[in-house]
Amino acid sequence: MRADTTRLDLRIRRRSLIGYTIGIAIYAITIVALYPSFKSDTSLNKLTEHGNAVAAIFGASGPLTSPTGWLDANLYANFVPLIILLVTVGYGAASIAGQDEDGTLGLVATLPTSRRRLVAEKFAAMCLLALPAALATMLCVLAGVGFELHVDFAHLAGATLGVLLLGIDFGALAMLIGAATGSRGTALGTTAAIAAAAYIISSLSPVVSWIHPLRYASPFFYAVGDSQLANGISAGSAGALVGLAALLAIASNRAFRRLDIH
Amino acid sequence: MTTAISVEGLTRCFGGRRGVTDVTFEVNVGEVFGFLGPNGAGKSTTIRLLLGLYPPTSGRTRIFDLDPTIDAVKVLGRVGYVPGELALYPRLTGGQHLDYAAQVRGMADHAYRDELVARFQADLDRPVRALSKGNRQKIGLVLAFMHRPDLLVLDEPTSGLDPLLQDEFVHLVHETVAEGRTVFLSSHELNEVQRVVDRVTIIKDGRIVVTDTVEGLRSTAPRTIELRFAHPVDPARFAGLTGVRVLHQETDRLTLSVTGPVAPLLSAAGELEAVDVTARRADLDELFLAFYRNTPETAAHAS
Repeated sequence: MRADTTRLDLRIRRRSLIGYTIGIAIYAITIVALYPSFKSDTSLNKLTEHGNAVAAIFGASGPLTSPTGWLDANLYANFVPLIILLVTVGYGAASIAGQDEDGTLGLVATLPTSRRRLVAEKFAAMCLLALPAALATMLCVLAGVGFELHVDFAHLAGATLGVLLLGIDFGALAMLIGAATGSRGTALGTTAAIAAAAYIISSLSPVVSWIHPLRYASPFFYAVGDSQLANGISAGSAGALVGLAALLAIASNRAFRRLDIH
Repeated sequence: MTTAISVEGLTRCFGGRRGVTDVTFEVNVGEVFGFLGPNGAGKSTTIRLLLGLYPPTSGRTRIFDLDPTIDAVKVLGRVGYVPGELALYPRLTGGQHLDYAAQVRGMADHAYRDELVARFQADLDRPVRALSKGNRQKIGLVLAFMHRPDLLVLDEPTSGLDPLLQDEFVHLVHETVAEGRTVFLSSHELNEVQRVVDRVTIIKDGRIVVTDTVEGLRSTAPRTIELRFAHPVDPARFAGLTGVRVLHQETDRLTLSVTGPVAPLLSAAGELEAVDVTARRADLDELFLAFYRNTPETAAHAS
């Protein structure tokens, strides 16, 4: 299987992908390099003491001066998912609805490829697009050993898997909404709104008691909201994220089968 | 098998918007079939139904005896398509588009593709966004023809091409049918269609108005007859005749549109001592406009 359409879509997004990857790498290495200056600053921990909701909104909860607390508050609870979601949701909305609006999907869909295969290839492209930013961040964090920042590799790999799957889930949601409506704007807008709500639920659940039980409904909780950097990702959480991605992929395939391609 | 396309009672509704209704026609293998209609008549909708891009509301479509919504891969493997509004990936070059399509189609032999590129002088090296509309259209034509498909579905294929390349396109169509392949040519540019098609169907407001050979249409089409008289005449003398319509009148000159036998008209002209007559066979252009306007002659013809 040659996956020509996957490669085509990756080629089209190559430039923006390189941009995102370089951007997040610069940011991540800066965060890592700043750690020695902040690790002894215990006043920083006051920010998140007694369940500070404002800090929680920005993804900071728990002590900030521990290696995992520092990385969570500055990278994994907020910035890394944001960047990966920008990549995957952007592509998810563009891959079917956006390309149909541009007219280029018609070109692809009138070649002898089944719609099921097109969805599969585009889904594969989305997974591959999420990789560079996640891996670049992981490599920068691994470079943290040079900056007194030590994290367990298995846990870091688990958190990386978590943000990857999170990106794929929301990208698949955008793909589904795009395939169902044929509208890139609807796909982007709806997915962004749902992702924002899911993020808020997961970030506030440690500090706002009535939100706490809702956290199980948020993919963010399974990916980054459950101290994955400190404890690794549980098989159950990874399974939930993979299961959601699979469901959304199947639904996208069904929706795409009915879509009018222009 | 002699039927390339067979469409029966094909209907597609878009919510409240009209799509196409009860479209029925057949295209034989090896012919050039013209698909004519004004803008918005339902040409592109019909084509997308043929290619399985739209699922139909009802009706039956077969391309080489296959249902394009079920056997899409088999059907599309034998079809080349130029869309009405060709959209290419702006950042990719023409060459990258051709490579992609060739890979998906599993093409190994690129000789014919290279020949087409040379004939149309297609620019393969610059990103598509840097190309003019005509130059993009050339890429679209190569994409459709390069794998020598059994059926070409062409929606306004020569838009943006200069006259020389339009001629080249006509040659290409003739070569294609000479090899026993089939061309379905949709257009509102009648001159282009008139030069190449064997049969034609006209669609208007989502319904097929008529399907016939070009000759058949011409023979029943209104002819234009111009009469000159030595003195002013009353056009009412002609307007009363069956199948005659006065198109234009000057003092001593009348232009008439005539369907059916001309004898009554000629005897009237004789009585009024006409001094000159010119008769022109209607070309498809006028015929098409007549259908488009939906004049009484059209209604008579369509029934």
